[in-house]
Amino acid sequence: MNVHDEMSDADVLRAAADSLSAIPVPSAPDTATIITTGRARRRRRRMAGLSIAGTAAVTVVALGLSGAVGSISHQPSGSTSHQPTHPAHAQLAAWTVTRLADGDISVTINQFKDPAGLQSTLRADGVPASVTFASQRDQACQPYPGGTVSPGSGSPSPLRPSALLKQVFPDPYQVLGPTPGTGPARMVKAPGPPSPTPSGNRIVIVIDPSALPRNAGVQLASSNAAATNLLLPAVVYASPQCTG
Amino acid sequence: MSSEQAEFTEFFQASWEPCLRAVVAVVGSPQLAEDQVAEAFTRAWMSWRKVSHHPAPRAWVVRTALNTGASWWRRRSLELPLADHDVTAPGDLASGLDVALLTAIWRLPRRQREVIALRIFLDLDTDTIARQMRIEAGTVRMHLSRGVAALRHELTPDKTTEASQ
Repeated sequence: MNVHDEMSDADVLRAAADSLSAIPVPSAPDTATIITTGRARRRRRRMAGLSIAGTAAVTVVALGLSGAVGSISHQPSGSTSHQPTHPAHAQLAAWTVTRLADGDISVTINQFKDPAGLQSTLRADGVPASVTFASQRDQACQPYPGGTVSPGSGSPSPLRPSALLKQVFPDPYQVLGPTPGTGPARMVKAPGPPSPTPSGNRIVIVIDPSALPRNAGVQLASSNAAATNLLLPAVVYASPQCTG
Repeated sequence: MSSEQAEFTEFFQASWEPCLRAVVAVVGSPQLAEDQVAEAFTRAWMSWRKVSHHPAPRAWVVRTALNTGASWWRRRSLELPLADHDVTAPGDLASGLDVALLTAIWRLPRRQREVIALRIFLDLDTDTIARQMRIEAGTVRMHLSRGVAALRHELTPDKTTEASQ
């Protein structure tokens, strides 16, 4: 008789659990230590965000925008260079970065302008980021496993976001109506398929920094192929060359 | 104490040990695991409104701890986890432990260790493990099956020999 046959999977797992449970492990630290450390980090993030907001906050007032939903909001400081030519949109900044109450970061893109500014704002908010508009994706960036959409089955094949993408970009990738606040929003499954964006539309992307693996960052890249601007968020390996 | 803080404190105190043991099962070092799990709980508190509504908050902590650990390993250029000195040596363990079985656990491929740790310490089902590890349920079953088979082999070779004699 073979004793192998007598040991069920449950028996093996129980033996493993018993053995691992016998390892002496440190007891839990004081909860107050965890909470205090977390609060200090939140405070540092807020301070870093506020110091960068500076001029942008003035811009918000001057432009009469009230779309920010969180406590911190960033916009390009050189607002004049980001104003679209159409009078109806002259009040809009090219993009806005807002930290939401739960720690997520909301990026609203009205126009594909000043990618470097958006990139540095995201980095200052603690999100390793690579942003390119109307150009090739940064070749220094390597896709993180599961960090890009993959084609699904069917015809036409839908883009299928991975679990990682859904966690890093938790809210639906949104293309709102032609004029913010008017008309029904068109929702597109996160984070794709990509949709045409401005003129007139704006894109809101929500990023959950806590869902990013420690060695990963986000990539926001738009292309200008066929005169259609597309934006597709992705997760890439963080590196000094790619995400700073 | 706010209700939010009280809720987190209750979660922290009830979840520290199972989360820590799950991470120890994967990384091998209680000291390293302690650092990673403490870091993960700090992040959980920072995002508590989100984590408190997570379908498996303990799994969120373990995943975050292991992601932190991956970065830690990379920063130290230790591409092969469990290759060297950060694994608890058998001599460091208290007497009475099944050192052979622990050694066998830590020799398993990392994915197999993760699946086994999530199953036995967080009592997660296959589908939940799959979502947490971002792999297919069938792959979870494969890792679990192979890991259990390897451990079974370690647990019973002598008995098998005796039985066959």
